[in-house]
Amino acid sequence: MSAAKSRWADDDPETEAIIAQRKREKEEKKRAKLEKQRQLEASKAQPPAQSADGAQGPNGESEPPKKRRRLSNDLDASDSTARVPQNDGQQGQKKRSSLLRFPVREWGTCRHVDNFERLNHIEEGSYGWVSRAKDITTGEVVALKKLKIENTPDGFPVTGLREIQTLLEARHPNVVHLREVVMGNKMDDVYLVMDFLEHDLKTLLDEMREPFLPSEIKTLLLQVVGGLEFLHSQWIMHRDLKTSNLLMNNRGEIKLADFGMARYYGDPPPKLTQLVVTLWYRSPELLLGADKYGPEIDMWSIGCIFGELLTKEPLLQGKNEVDQVSKIFALTGPPNQQIWPGFRSLPNAKSLKIPPTSASSAGNPPLLPRTRFPYLTNAGLSLLSSLLALNPAVRPTAQQCLSHAYFKEDPRPKPKEMFPTYPSKAGMEKRRRHHTPEAPKRGQEAPELDFASVFGGATVGDTGETGAGFALRLG
Amino acid sequence: MAPTNPGLKHLSNALATPDQLSNSSSAIDGVPSDLETSIRCAGAQLTQAAGVLLRLSQDIIAQAIVIFARFWLGADGGSLRIYSAKDVSAASLYLTAKLSFQPTSPRSVLNVYTFLLSKESSPLWFVNPRGAPAQPPAAESYILSEGGYQSARLVLFRIESIILRTLGFDTHVALPHTIALTYLQTLGATRPAVARRVIEHLNAALLSPQLLYITHQPNALAVAAIYLATREEGVKLVDGEWWEVFDVDREELGFLVVGMRSTEGFVRAETERWRNKAIPMVVDEVEAEIERRRMMQEGE
Repeated sequence: MSAAKSRWADDDPETEAIIAQRKREKEEKKRAKLEKQRQLEASKAQPPAQSADGAQGPNGESEPPKKRRRLSNDLDASDSTARVPQNDGQQGQKKRSSLLRFPVREWGTCRHVDNFERLNHIEEGSYGWVSRAKDITTGEVVALKKLKIENTPDGFPVTGLREIQTLLEARHPNVVHLREVVMGNKMDDVYLVMDFLEHDLKTLLDEMREPFLPSEIKTLLLQVVGGLEFLHSQWIMHRDLKTSNLLMNNRGEIKLADFGMARYYGDPPPKLTQLVVTLWYRSPELLLGADKYGPEIDMWSIGCIFGELLTKEPLLQGKNEVDQVSKIFALTGPPNQQIWPGFRSLPNAKSLKIPPTSASSAGNPPLLPRTRFPYLTNAGLSLLSSLLALNPAVRPTAQQCLSHAYFKEDPRPKPKEMFPTYPSKAGMEKRRRHHTPEAPKRGQEAPELDFASVFGGATVGDTGETGAGFALRLG
Repeated sequence: MAPTNPGLKHLSNALATPDQLSNSSSAIDGVPSDLETSIRCAGAQLTQAAGVLLRLSQDIIAQAIVIFARFWLGADGGSLRIYSAKDVSAASLYLTAKLSFQPTSPRSVLNVYTFLLSKESSPLWFVNPRGAPAQPPAAESYILSEGGYQSARLVLFRIESIILRTLGFDTHVALPHTIALTYLQTLGATRPAVARRVIEHLNAALLSPQLLYITHQPNALAVAAIYLATREEGVKLVDGEWWEVFDVDREELGFLVVGMRSTEGFVRAETERWRNKAIPMVVDEVEAEIERRRMMQEGE
């Protein structure tokens, strides 16, 4: 900045004039800023980095963190001096163009886990142990998740790496904030330090006497889908959405957590493992063995979560893969070529014997049976039915979901501040283990499933309900 | 000035701090800075060559080179007297591939590195100054034994963990290559020759001793490569300060253009300087080189 003339200035006098003009402007701003800074320094102690403000990095570019501070100083400076705006006016459109700045990040070595004092154990998930802990220096309460690192043949487990990578990438108000990664004494002691939230939605639903109000459901769902929309916009699939992975604080905010199965995807989709998503929230294309799938699987899980919010009970509680498929078809009606073209070519669909009933159904996807959700409005039912569409191509994207009429009709989403608070299980005592099945383990073989018994098999439980559902649809 | 946009995170990188740039762990351990620069550049070339032999795509290779370069920076970074450049190169490449759509096996990685580091058979000038042998070399000179594989695998995994710890598990690397192609389309300069030259500049910049990839955001690298390539190919771009459209200011562009243009000369000077010697890629060789220099100095 101190060089008299840019080494890369070209000889064009006009450009030079502009550069000189710009330099004067900068100089002036700098002066104003320095003055401002002196005032600031006089009034309070400054962090040392601030005094180096405006200095150049060794490579000739201003260092990012300073840039950000300069931003606020600039604003202050132009507030306090009349000269700058005047100048801008003279310059007209030739004034300094505003260049977009990228978010500022640095990297640094992991801290040691001893910087945290463990308070209590919260939960053991499928991918690690979680405890509540306190940052010794700041006193902040955080959640500390220890990654499970078994002796893998591939070095550091890729699932753990993906979890960290996607969480670091997914900075969003509705995604749990990964503060840093810390390590213990051994190389395989790796902990994720995350914001602590008082509840998970699963425990909360279990503890509640009454389900959430419709207005509360909308607020929760909008946040969850909002977070998911951001993930999908960053090409990240979560692949394990369920109520126990949705964390909630006492301010009505809900965040997606547990990225143990999350990964980047692409277009066209790469070949991926089908062993993802906890059984009850797993989409039909995954159950039928699709190895090419996309973010639609997360939308199916959203549909399951929506249903669970409405009834307080998990929507589709299959005992195993085969039972899960039959539960799904009992709810949605069986697939046919019309509503789901091409499902026959999925690996596990061969054994599927579908009863010849498909003379029904207007609209694609067909509406779910109204009897299952008696208190849901028509718009709500249409949203739920589209999320739980068998054909993944028909399911709305997260973005489409956000603009659905359901969220615009009365009752409106309840403001987050108006949410009731609940006593926190995770805060003080060990939580009850849920009886949700666990997320599939990585490295398992995808089972070859025989779905022959999905329809009409005497083995399947709850046939009464199944029958009732079909009868209603046909009638 | 416009505020930062968090949605652009995936297009940007964590950059080195001035502190990290002015202090390296190797320098603290007494490695001469010119030696460190030479090893870093050779390590980048080693990573590139290994990536090509492993048939990895260039984005994975480039990301690995950036991770490799980040590892050595700062007082908390890795020291060349503790970690061998070849191991860090292998682990960077393995780690980056693992997170990509094209993972590769430890065995493939280690086989390739054994070949590239063989003093008799390597085609790399800084490992085997005599150049690749005309006759196919004896297989023993570049084959990794089973025992050798088992121990090398453990080293690979250990260094992988150390890289992750050193970088705070931040493995995100945004690259300028695709950004540059988008910019070219925006500028209406899509002649294949220009695009080719842009990519060449961007790949060459990976070897830059000024560490352009860890001091500048990818959009700036893309703009500088386009600026150079269009000049060299004689393609006229729009009048005016078009780089500002891509959020790069003149000073930064100027610095990067000079940096990119000097890379070729730097690499030439390196090959000249190390003409009959191998650049040390393992800790022992670094120690030997430092000792040799000390003896030379005392002899004077």
